[in-house]
Amino acid sequence: MVSAYARSTLFLITALVLHLALFSDLRVLGVAPEVPLAIAVTAGLVGGPERGAIAGFVIGLGIDLYLPTLFGLSALIYTVWGYAVGLLEERIFRSAWWINVLIAAVATAGGLLVYAVLGELLGEANLYTDRLYVVMGVAAAYNLVLSLPLLGLWRWSWPRLLGEER
Amino acid sequence: MATGTRTGRSRVTLIFLLLSSATLLTLDARNFEPLQRTEETLSDLISPLRSGADRLFEPVGDAWTGVTGYDELESENEQLRQELQKLEGQRILDSDAALRLESLLDELGLPYVQDIPNIVAEVITANVGNFDRYSVQINRGAEDGVRNGMPVVTRGGLIGRIDGDPGRRHSQVALITDPGFEVGVLVVGSDDVALASGGGHDEPLVVGKGLEIDTEVEVGDEVVTSGVDRSRYPAGIPIGTVTEIDYDEARLFQILTVNPSASTDNLSFVTILLYDPLAEES
Repeated sequence: MVSAYARSTLFLITALVLHLALFSDLRVLGVAPEVPLAIAVTAGLVGGPERGAIAGFVIGLGIDLYLPTLFGLSALIYTVWGYAVGLLEERIFRSAWWINVLIAAVATAGGLLVYAVLGELLGEANLYTDRLYVVMGVAAAYNLVLSLPLLGLWRWSWPRLLGEER
Repeated sequence: MATGTRTGRSRVTLIFLLLSSATLLTLDARNFEPLQRTEETLSDLISPLRSGADRLFEPVGDAWTGVTGYDELESENEQLRQELQKLEGQRILDSDAALRLESLLDELGLPYVQDIPNIVAEVITANVGNFDRYSVQINRGAEDGVRNGMPVVTRGGLIGRIDGDPGRRHSQVALITDPGFEVGVLVVGSDDVALASGGGHDEPLVVGKGLEIDTEVEVGDEVVTSGVDRSRYPAGIPIGTVTEIDYDEARLFQILTVNPSASTDNLSFVTILLYDPLAEES
């Protein structure tokens, strides 16, 4: 159990640092991969709704430290997204790896749309713009690729928990 | 039974996390200081890891930019080559133009910007997400005398202003490219004060309000901050050069396209002008 928490924490911190130092520079059409969102979604897919929500909350808070938007906005959305994807996977899909990868891509696009709409409702500017759909498309494509290693890394983080519960 | 318990527990966890997020959002919206301090502490904790990773992965990022932005780099190179030739040919004219600008600024009674107290700040975060193209975070805050709205410049001219109440040791800078960014300007040589606004990332600024049709403006004219009554910005900070002149539909005002004189890309260090218009006035 302790090992699972230690691995998850290590994984989340490494992912955050890698996103800040590396992935945020790897832009296509000016769009960077949405690694934190991919982390939340894949956590939900591998660990179910509860762990999806917790991972989403933690990584959301981490990235909120570096974004100009309100502190807690990413945490809020990633929590819901991690939970919802986990619930879908548990109740509906119980799926093959390629369906998980597709879910991660679609969830990324959806998560960005919700982020932009909710952010605008909370008074943040320049979120819901013409460029949003480009961001959704490119980030979804990026996370389609990234979700495979991330799914593997979550399985590495929670081997015993998964063995017990699933 | 076990599944039911797990579902119940996960719902409780979800509600707890949602309430926590909502609380943080509310506190941040109200600039709750202990939260800002906690944010700074957490950020400081991650900072050494991040700096190390930054150094490690910098070549990868540069290589990626080189590959994905090759066409852009090529056209930028071509443009720079042409500009260099033009500059070479007009060196003497340019020095004359600089003198002319200085004398025009004197005539307009614009104070010399460098007399204003200022501090240099390092850009600590720029564009880590997909929705933060118009802002950067710097390592100076309230402890250094930074206040909301203060102008931020580089050698090239105005690049933005302090956005919102700064933290103790960090502040957010809204960049001049932000479509919501507005600044009072005047074309050097004219008296008409107009309003320039950001045109978006990599796009020129637009002067769309206030410049009457009979004001004499030419392509190549310099645009500077106007510094009129209680403006957030002191007069005479370079904004850019007029590249296009158009008119509004009723042909009452001129609409200028202005190429910014300072780039907001790859910022490392910036200067904050510790300018308080009300204090200046008194």
